[in-house]
Amino acid sequence: MSKERNEQGQEGLGRELEGLLASVPPPKAPAWFAAKTLARLRAEKAEQRGGWLRIPQWKWLAAGLGIALLVFGILRPERSSLKISDAEVYAALNALVQEDEESRWWSGL
Amino acid sequence: MGTGQEETRDEDLMAQIAKGDEEAFRQLIERHQDRVYGTVAKMLGGTGPDVEELAQEIFLRVWRAASRYEVKAKFTTWLMTITRNLVFTFFDSAGKKREKLHETLETEEDFMGGQGGSLKRTAADELSGKELAEAVEKACAELPRTQRMVVHLRQYEGMEFEEIAKVMGMSLTAVKALMFRARENLREKLSGYFGASN
Repeated sequence: MSKERNEQGQEGLGRELEGLLASVPPPKAPAWFAAKTLARLRAEKAEQRGGWLRIPQWKWLAAGLGIALLVFGILRPERSSLKISDAEVYAALNALVQEDEESRWWSGL
Repeated sequence: MGTGQEETRDEDLMAQIAKGDEEAFRQLIERHQDRVYGTVAKMLGGTGPDVEELAQEIFLRVWRAASRYEVKAKFTTWLMTITRNLVFTFFDSAGKKREKLHETLETEEDFMGGQGGSLKRTAADELSGKELAEAVEKACAELPRTQRMVVHLRQYEGMEFEEIAKVMGMSLTAVKALMFRARENLREKLSGYFGASN
């Protein structure tokens, strides 16, 4: 009983299983592993160092700013052209009335 | 491995890495690459691009965390904790397919089920090393991931239960219970091979 408990609790897997598992050791890292990991690290660092202008968030910010300026630029002149003097309004109304009178005359009314 | 002198060196390397020393990082990788790569390979059930990429990612995490590294436990305990985290995250995301495959294998009848007697008869004398290795790999791969990790840390990394508990983020009792269940599972699956490894 105590041996069984010892094997279960303290010894872990027990001699037989340990023997079997020992016959299949974990694989070793490939020879180029360290070099490849360092290369990946350098690539990451290079991206972080030179990439701040290329980050997508920056692109989106720049694009958003550009669009905002464009819209502002387009709407500004339109808003100023909406200012029409009273004389211009009367002239336009007169032209309409004249046009209407002419068309009534041609219609024999 | 695991001597006090080596730990001091690991800590020194970490201090140098924290300052951005790539040479120290290379030394640390070369010292622990087999440990990390082997653990990932055992957990994922084989070698391949996934294993290499994940093992590299573990070391990159070490690099990124170097400035925050504090000597609270053995360096290898910390390293294995990062390894465990990333491997389990891998299982939770892209590795779900793999776990499903293992579940499928569990239901297959061609793996020892119901033929223990004949295996027992042939195992010791006729099984080739390759067959035995495949059976052991398969039995380990079919263990739930927590059991597999505990078995690996104990069997191949030679860790104490206290260290394993730290790596797993569990109590000592929970780790021992996992080991017990792993042992029962493996015994059931590999009983026919006992004696074949000698």
